[in-house]
Amino acid sequence: MSTATRDEQPLLRVRDLTVGFTTAAGETNVVKHLDFDLARGGALGIVGESGSGKSMTSLAVMGLLPKGAKRTGSIELDGTELTTLRERQMQAVRGDRIAMVFQDPLSSLNPYYTVGTQIMEAYRSHRTGVTRRAARKIAIEAMERVHIKDAARRVDHYPHQFSGGMRQRVMIAMTLSMEPDLIIADEPTTALDVTVQAQILDLLAEIRRDTGAGLILITHDLAVVSEVADHIVVMRDGDLVEQGPAERIFCDPQADYTRMLLDAVPRIDDEIGLLRTTSTEETR
Amino acid sequence: MSEPLLRATNLVKEFTIRGTGLLGRAARLRAVDDVSLEVRTGETLALVGESGSGKSTTARLIARLIDTTGGAIEFAGREVHALTGKDLHAYRGEVQVVFQDPYSSLNPKHTVERIVTAPLIYQKRPVPGGARAFTRELMERVGLNPDHSARFPAQFSGGQAQRIGIARALAVSPKLIIADEAVSALDVSVQAQVINLLRRLQDEEGFSYLFIAHDLAVVRQIATRVAVMNEGRIVETGDRDQVFGDPQDPYTRKLLAAVPRIRPEWDAARRRNERARRERQEAGA
Repeated sequence: MSTATRDEQPLLRVRDLTVGFTTAAGETNVVKHLDFDLARGGALGIVGESGSGKSMTSLAVMGLLPKGAKRTGSIELDGTELTTLRERQMQAVRGDRIAMVFQDPLSSLNPYYTVGTQIMEAYRSHRTGVTRRAARKIAIEAMERVHIKDAARRVDHYPHQFSGGMRQRVMIAMTLSMEPDLIIADEPTTALDVTVQAQILDLLAEIRRDTGAGLILITHDLAVVSEVADHIVVMRDGDLVEQGPAERIFCDPQADYTRMLLDAVPRIDDEIGLLRTTSTEETR
Repeated sequence: MSEPLLRATNLVKEFTIRGTGLLGRAARLRAVDDVSLEVRTGETLALVGESGSGKSTTARLIARLIDTTGGAIEFAGREVHALTGKDLHAYRGEVQVVFQDPYSSLNPKHTVERIVTAPLIYQKRPVPGGARAFTRELMERVGLNPDHSARFPAQFSGGQAQRIGIARALAVSPKLIIADEAVSALDVSVQAQVINLLRRLQDEEGFSYLFIAHDLAVVRQIATRVAVMNEGRIVETGDRDQVFGDPQDPYTRKLLAAVPRIRPEWDAARRRNERARRERQEAGA
């Protein structure tokens, strides 16, 4: 492959992605015919309200859909089709190339092991032949990179000894140690206080700048996505409502649903559109 | 200025944490530390802060859901702490609470009719016009279909369930509604509608809100005055526009600076494009 085509090729190319479940009531698709690209080093925001299918989309990319879910369509990472990989191969992709940060760091960390052990084990399971000592050094370095003070001592602490924001830093340190090409963050700051949220968003931006990793941010929060993403996908009830560069979506939304959402977001320095236009019918 | 509806003076609430003190003795955690605030008739006082700031504990003290360690609460000129029997019953009617999670605060086995008439029955007050008509009228006021009065909470969406919680609070014609993160769990489009509803009901009824929230952008939409809490203390109180526009306390400034925001120039461009779109549509029509 020539360098030219490699540069043009997106890091992630998703085509006609559909996720369905079979229930007693029949087939339900929670993600329907989704197409999007993530550019190399880009930050893609997937926004939607509850039930929009945004989290199912991220799980589909990771190959972590719940049992009984059916996935069709194509997901290419760097030109490699992921949907046809065996589970063992997909495990390698998850460790080496795609890393995920979830909303609730406490439920993704094991309370019985120190955070250092967990970062080291995650690292060693994907990098064979690494000694414990080397892995420990990498864990401490990763914790330092996410600005956890006194990392050489904190590495031996348990998850409950960290605050919510610090646990999210530990999770990000764990993903960082793998040097992924793509980080998928699903509502990473939703459970955090606003001052801590600002720190974690700054940290994600810093990591993107330093490592060149691509980011997919899944969120319900349009203000957050406006600060982070350069390309935005708006979803509703499993459908792609519209997508485009962040500035275009926020300055000139095309879909009625996007316009309604933007009107409804509370602004800290203004009254929101839905409150300003008192004639708006309250839906039942 | 007229007497405030509610006046809390030097409120203190301490909790005992077992076995963490010196030599395993019980330690005390001061969750609310010398808090004084006033809520005036017809206004919305927003109590804002991050997790652990003591804002919800303060709300529970005022609702008398828990007892104070120290300080005084005066409501309509009466000392709340001293209320017993019939007077305490009456206070529980005048102060209503709307919680964050509508499903867990509504009995899943009761119909809407039973839920919204319960506060009246608890107070041994007659239901004006009969339970069915009373429920229908309340449901209409909060924007719910009155034909659904025999349904159960699980048959409603989150936003609709929160409207049931609001209807229940309204049933006893309260003077003060304590909204404890009442719109925090709602999707953004539903949240805007419920904020609209809360504002409209206050305009119609003239009651006061004590609005507990962590989301400053939501508070900007509904508050008359704002009190900012941090580590059990109120660090700043003032009129909404003063606190948002010219915050005095360093913590308030830090909190406001951390709020994510859509660029104002993007919002301005969107409004220009929206106006142009409407004009094109009108020209075409």
